[in-house]
Amino acid sequence: MGTNETNFYQEYEVFSKRSAKAPVQHQFSLLAPNEEMALIMAQENFMRREDVLDVWVVKKSHIRAMTSEERQNWTKRLDNKDYRTTKGYGYLRKKWREKEQGMLDEKEILSWKEVKKS
Amino acid sequence: MYNYVEDGDSQTTAYMADDQEKYEQFMARIEAGEKIEADDWMPNDYRQALIKLISMHGISEIMGALPEKEWVPKAPTLRRKLGIMAKVQDEMGHGQLLLRVTEDLMRPFGRNRENLMKDLLNGDLKFHNVFHMPTKTWADAGMVGWLVDGAAIISQTNMLDASYGPYQRALQRICAEEVFHAQHGESIIMALAEGTKQQRDMLQESLNRWWPSLLMFFGPASAATTGSSKQDIMIKYRIRKSTNEELRQAFLSKYMPRVFSLGLTVPDETCHYDEEKEEWIYQQPDWEEFKKIIRNQGPRSKERLRLREIAYENNRWVRRALAAQPVG
Repeated sequence: MGTNETNFYQEYEVFSKRSAKAPVQHQFSLLAPNEEMALIMAQENFMRREDVLDVWVVKKSHIRAMTSEERQNWTKRLDNKDYRTTKGYGYLRKKWREKEQGMLDEKEILSWKEVKKS
Repeated sequence: MYNYVEDGDSQTTAYMADDQEKYEQFMARIEAGEKIEADDWMPNDYRQALIKLISMHGISEIMGALPEKEWVPKAPTLRRKLGIMAKVQDEMGHGQLLLRVTEDLMRPFGRNRENLMKDLLNGDLKFHNVFHMPTKTWADAGMVGWLVDGAAIISQTNMLDASYGPYQRALQRICAEEVFHAQHGESIIMALAEGTKQQRDMLQESLNRWWPSLLMFFGPASAATTGSSKQDIMIKYRIRKSTNEELRQAFLSKYMPRVFSLGLTVPDETCHYDEEKEEWIYQQPDWEEFKKIIRNQGPRSKERLRLREIAYENNRWVRRALAAQPVG
């Protein structure tokens, strides 16, 4: 590249959304000279086959990601959290069984989208 | 930190002790199946092995698109034309992914994509032996998709669990698309194999020409043949799982029965599966020729590099236009 083309490329991270219900998902990164080209390159590079509803391109320098050290500490932190999850309350299943009742677990509760119409 | 070892003062010991501890943590992480990210500490020889592997893989994807794109205007039907165009586009996309992975690894050395392109053109960055070969007939387009990509699939799926996160993630995407490439190639091969005598002859002639390149694809069995081999370090650092020879044997096991089932032969009468030894017996290709090919002295090396250079030069105006500041 000539001198006027130095620093031509910027790094962009690419995110996309497959369907209305899906969260935005990181795809990969790419080099492009500006946002518009990054969006075009994102479609060319990562969405040649997949249906997508939305694509985000974000300049990598605008992302405050964790450092290597922060990641290590973060992952170590995630232990002994039973009291925050249903796993810590699993004994209830046996208790309810003794009282001849079913457990209102996550599967059951999240199935309550519809109630009987009056 | 890149394992600088300085002489003389007391700091040396401190650095080395520090790195030794980091090295042990690194090994413990990869042995536990964790993935290493671009900004994690890594031993220098791990970084160097990855740069060499992934830059060569990436640039080979791009150089591999060149012999295939020659067949876009010559494809026999519209459907074949669309198929091979999609494949060429995929290969360029794979190249983009892999060069991006390499760039992050090279960042501490102040090197970027421009350096890779220059290295390619001046011969410091090698590309895969198969892409130095001519594609003479339409059967070659099928052969590249079926057996060359078949060989690539064998070596790339072996790295689907690679310890380096960015490469491992790129490979999931690449291998999924390679399945399409393989079937695209099979479809061309199947049509020719079930076609006229002229078509079958063309197919056989193509396989005869590609055979040595296919055996060479996986590299020599040991460093004794060509003087250097990165396979040990790649296995130690869990980048890949198998040796060159194990991969070649896997390729022969998967593809030879299919080759024979189409009524094709290979230009090596000794080639067979030895039940007792449980391995494929074959004549070694000419490894001296292999060394020449990857030194850019293959039949099409210069032309392909020139094509790459022309593409780079012809698109300069696009880069310039995009680099210009908007007016007003």
